Amino acid sequence: MSDGKRLIYILWPSFIVAGVATGVVFTVFDPTDLRFFDREITLSRTAVYSIGFFLFWLFAAGSSALTCFFQRSSADLNRPRGAPFDRPQTPPGKGTVH
Amino acid sequence: MNDPREGDAVVRAPKGGAGAAAVRNASEGEGAQALYAARKKIYPRTVHGRFDRWRWVLVWATQIVFYGLPWLTWNGRQAVLFDLAARKFYIFGFVFWPQDFIYLTALLIISALALFLFTAVGGRLWCGYACPQTVYTEIFMWIERKIEGGRAQRMLLDEAPVSARKVAVKGAKHAAWIAVSLWTGFTFVGYFTPITELLGAVAALATGPWETFWILFYGFATYGNAGWMREQVCKYMCPYARFQSAMFDRDTLIITYDAGRGEPRGPRSRKAVRAEIPLGDCVNCGLCVDVCPTGIDIREGLQYECIGCAACIDACDEVMGKFGYPRGLIRYSTENALAHGWDARKMVRRVLRARTLVYGAILFAVCAALAGALALRVPLKVDIVRDRASLAREVEGGRIENVYRIQVMNTQERAHRYRIGASGLPGIAVASDAQIEVPAATTRQVPLRIQIDPGTTAKGSHRIEVEVQSLDDAGVVAREQSVFLVR
Ligand code: SF4
Ligand code: SF4
Repeated sequence: MSDGKRLIYILWPSFIVAGVATGVVFTVFDPTDLRFFDREITLSRTAVYSIGFFLFWLFAAGSSALTCFFQRSSADLNRPRGAPFDRPQTPPGKGTVH
Repeated sequence: MNDPREGDAVVRAPKGGAGAAAVRNASEGEGAQALYAARKKIYPRTVHGRFDRWRWVLVWATQIVFYGLPWLTWNGRQAVLFDLAARKFYIFGFVFWPQDFIYLTALLIISALALFLFTAVGGRLWCGYACPQTVYTEIFMWIERKIEGGRAQRMLLDEAPVSARKVAVKGAKHAAWIAVSLWTGFTFVGYFTPITELLGAVAALATGPWETFWILFYGFATYGNAGWMREQVCKYMCPYARFQSAMFDRDTLIITYDAGRGEPRGPRSRKAVRAEIPLGDCVNCGLCVDVCPTGIDIREGLQYECIGCAACIDACDEVMGKFGYPRGLIRYSTENALAHGWDARKMVRRVLRARTLVYGAILFAVCAALAGALALRVPLKVDIVRDRASLAREVEGGRIENVYRIQVMNTQERAHRYRIGASGLPGIAVASDAQIEVPAATTRQVPLRIQIDPGTTAKGSHRIEVEVQSLDDAGVVAREQSVFLVR
């Protein structure tokens, strides 16, 4: 997988999830009722919605990134240092790695 | 093609063109290819025909609605406004509050079911004609064509070394794209914040930071998706494209190539007598591949990349016309119809089948439930909370009093005066103001004191009911349960 494609796979699904999460969470909670470390939030609702959206995006992207990270094939992990990604490598004495 | 801008002598990559190369690349799947970085740019050739006209009809229809709707007024306010800052959604005669999310949920369920039903019957008609991705790509390609010229000119321009002319032409194209994008972003934000005020703010360069941000964000997304990403959005990013196969069956309308009629394909002279050549009807001109916005060859069969735009039908029909063959070598059909040689009537009859009937029945039930709920909806909501600070107390005359906070939400766009009453215990009465005036589409919260006669009720907590009744509309009434404490 190219880096560009991987980036899209991380950012795009998390964008969709963040959109849904923002809609659901802020339907249920009114930003003006929320408290920030026990202090009143003085930001406008629009600001809280927007910041909330980006936080959700960040969290969801974190999850997507971890998925990508754990999905790396053994070929990726076994590859000699410095060799490019995604080219099936056959480390000495290990046979074919898929 | 009789397109004067493109002419007949078109620079075309060797058979299959750039598009076919991109597909072969894509079909190698998750291999080492850098699909995003190294994708072959697709230069779809312009095509004119029946389906192309339909697409333009839908481009106009959807965009008149999208760009125009926020400017409509209703009851002296914006007709469709999702006022996020005030947490109220206005949709023509209705005002929805967060508490009404059940309607929104129902609407989402209806949309999903409608999509299932529509997809099972019509395949990707949505993708080909009405999806914003298609519509904006169409608009952006039109701009591109007007400024850069036809397919051949665009390819030459891209290959040409940097020159003043190239910079000017490309610059003009991007400027036009950005202008459309910004207007789209502005319209989008205009659905969430009153658009006339927003226009004033934009004109005075005084939009709030978040409004500015979201206009630019949506504008940028439009520019990127319609100008640069194009078919890649459909191929890699669209969830609908990915799960369409779950909704498809053998009776779903798809774009098909009639291999039985077309094969063996091969070039021939226009004068050749059809019955005398050992070839099928496909003249292997490659036009269907050239016009395909996703760069696939429909003759290889149904592929998930096919967005059902029917450009290949238009292209092939024209070729068939030139050779004097009947059109429809590539056509809308279903797998079953193609396999069994059904005519259109038989195909249409298969629209009614178990899957569509089930989807249709559920859809109808949910729609009816929503319509019923909306019709019976009382434009008043009441919420009562006990005042936690004070329990029961004795007041003058020995009467026992409980204190509450009552929230009265008038969801109608006219003011109401309400009478607040209580029932459920002997001698129960509202001791605070028994009438409350709530302006149009607002919420008021007031303290509510309820008293009962002394000595009539045992110690403990008792259910009571509070009723809020509009004085000017007998149908507007809401009842809410609460608890009365006696010590
Ligand atoms: S194969 Fe035909 S219908 Fe499908 S995307 Fe390409 S041109 Fe459009
Ligand atoms: S446009 Fe029609 S005739 Fe030409 S290659 Fe395609 S299918 Fe064959």
